[in-house]
Amino acid sequence: MTAQFELLEHPSDIGVRARGATREDALVAVSHGLTSILADTTSFRPAEERFFKATGTDEATLIINWLNEILFFFDTEGMVFIEFSIDSWTGNEITGQARGERFDVERHEFRTAVKAVTYHQFESHPTPDGWEIQVFVDV
Amino acid sequence: MHLEKIDDYRWLIPKTYKAGMLTDAIVYASQRLLEAIRQDQSLEQAANIAMLPGIVGRALAMPDIHQGYGFPIGGVAAVDEHHGVVSPGGVGFDINCGVRLLSSSLTVNDVRPRLRDLVHQLFVSVPSGTGQSSRLSISENDLNEILEKGPRWAIAHGMGSEADLDHTEDRGCIAGADPYAVSARAKQRGKPQLGTLGSGNHFLEVQYVDEVFDEQTAATYNLCENRIVVLIHTGSRGLGHQVCSDYVGQLDEAMRRYDLHVPDRQLACAPIHSPEGQRYLKAMAAAANFAWTNRQCIAHAVRGAFKRTFGENVDLPVIHDVAHNIAKLESHHVDGERRRVLVHRKGATRAFPGQPVFIPGSMGTASYFLLGREASMRETFGSACHGAGRVMSRSASKKGVTAKEIQKELESRGIIVESLTREGLTEEKPEAYKDIEAVVDVVHHTGLASRVVRLRPIGVVKG
Repeated sequence: MTAQFELLEHPSDIGVRARGATREDALVAVSHGLTSILADTTSFRPAEERFFKATGTDEATLIINWLNEILFFFDTEGMVFIEFSIDSWTGNEITGQARGERFDVERHEFRTAVKAVTYHQFESHPTPDGWEIQVFVDV
Repeated sequence: MHLEKIDDYRWLIPKTYKAGMLTDAIVYASQRLLEAIRQDQSLEQAANIAMLPGIVGRALAMPDIHQGYGFPIGGVAAVDEHHGVVSPGGVGFDINCGVRLLSSSLTVNDVRPRLRDLVHQLFVSVPSGTGQSSRLSISENDLNEILEKGPRWAIAHGMGSEADLDHTEDRGCIAGADPYAVSARAKQRGKPQLGTLGSGNHFLEVQYVDEVFDEQTAATYNLCENRIVVLIHTGSRGLGHQVCSDYVGQLDEAMRRYDLHVPDRQLACAPIHSPEGQRYLKAMAAAANFAWTNRQCIAHAVRGAFKRTFGENVDLPVIHDVAHNIAKLESHHVDGERRRVLVHRKGATRAFPGQPVFIPGSMGTASYFLLGREASMRETFGSACHGAGRVMSRSASKKGVTAKEIQKELESRGIIVESLTREGLTEEKPEAYKDIEAVVDVVHHTGLASRVVRLRPIGVVKG
């Protein structure tokens, strides 16, 4: 199956449900979902690369901290990523890279700032044809 | 869920409603508001906060309550200082999100002819900070000073005066703030964002007084019909968001050590006097001080924009500045005795008797200035609501309407809007929120706070 995501309704915030053939693919898909809340990604190029490292003692924390890398690079450098790759996923660390470019108000369309990724209604589980991850973010 | 009606504005969720509740929860709402509140999970979340270890009195839901993540937005929970827990989720990601109201010597008739220029000046002077950088460049030392001392730093750098502090909750500084309890990542996120508004429901509005309910109090604040005021709604930006994220993670792990259990991981907590709890409170105080400095810097930029448009003599003193996402150690009467408690206000404003309370409505509708009243001390740990409260999800709000249509509709009602994003308008359209009048009615009739003036916007700046 191809990796895909959908945005979910929430009274005050936004959720992302993503599916992939593997857990890694689902994480990449949820990463694209989160980025799509921040900006219209169609006009971005994979011009610069950043190293992602998420630590945690369980899967939820690892995934949330990975997604928080996206918010960190957006707030500090204005980076918007359009490609993600995962190098390694252990019990307490996920490492990988993301490629994108800095937001430019002249060329890009900004949508909504995301404050944080939450544990609220978090899900990560296998499905008959792959893996599914669901997160809600505070906007 | 079955609610027991206490009176027309108070409803009880008994502690027998579900296992784990340590106390009852009280919902402040009219029958009509309650119907809207029932549409989401906020009442379940109100019952969940009644499970916080060490909770005293009752868990409280304000009339603008809506579903959050863990804590409901519009939730208040007080815990015993010695036996209770602190929960970063009970403060929220946007630590010390709050409202600052500035008055002026201008009237709506002075401003209308130059309104478009003014709104543009404000839009340019106060960046949203998303995709645009702050006008301020600060060093690591500056940031540490801001975290420790709050807006004093801004005033020492020519952005405001001592009088501004006199009208800011806690004079803009919670004691005990420790810059070293704030992670390097949080500092990196916040540093480029000082003096920025943010997006989402944050905004800057030029408003005028359209109705006076309490002449005497209004006069104390130099407010009369048609007086121009400016309302600033923003918080601690990425710095506060990261502090909350960091400590939700740390306290989530600490809970296992202290054998604490909560019904939602986002309610992660630790005993107030544990090293983890204390460290969070020091970081929270630092983030709160950053938020007050942020609103101070924005107020300075607003003053500049007014001076450029209306001349150097225009003065915009602070009426008051209140936090509505915060946890505070306060003394309250609980079960007949005076006790020190930590009051979590998540989307709720302090409403001590005599204190100004600001309730901003949705874009294009009215906002209210109220005065805290005695009932708040008896019933709600000195708290009232903080806004209108969403009734429509962001995606539902966006459907079938364009930003241009909203802008045009508002202009036809004499309201000029400048927004960086289309989402800033479509997700925040007036219909996405509860009726502010109905929310304020509840607060007024329960005696938590009483109406002073109603404010209507004529200029809106959004991220």
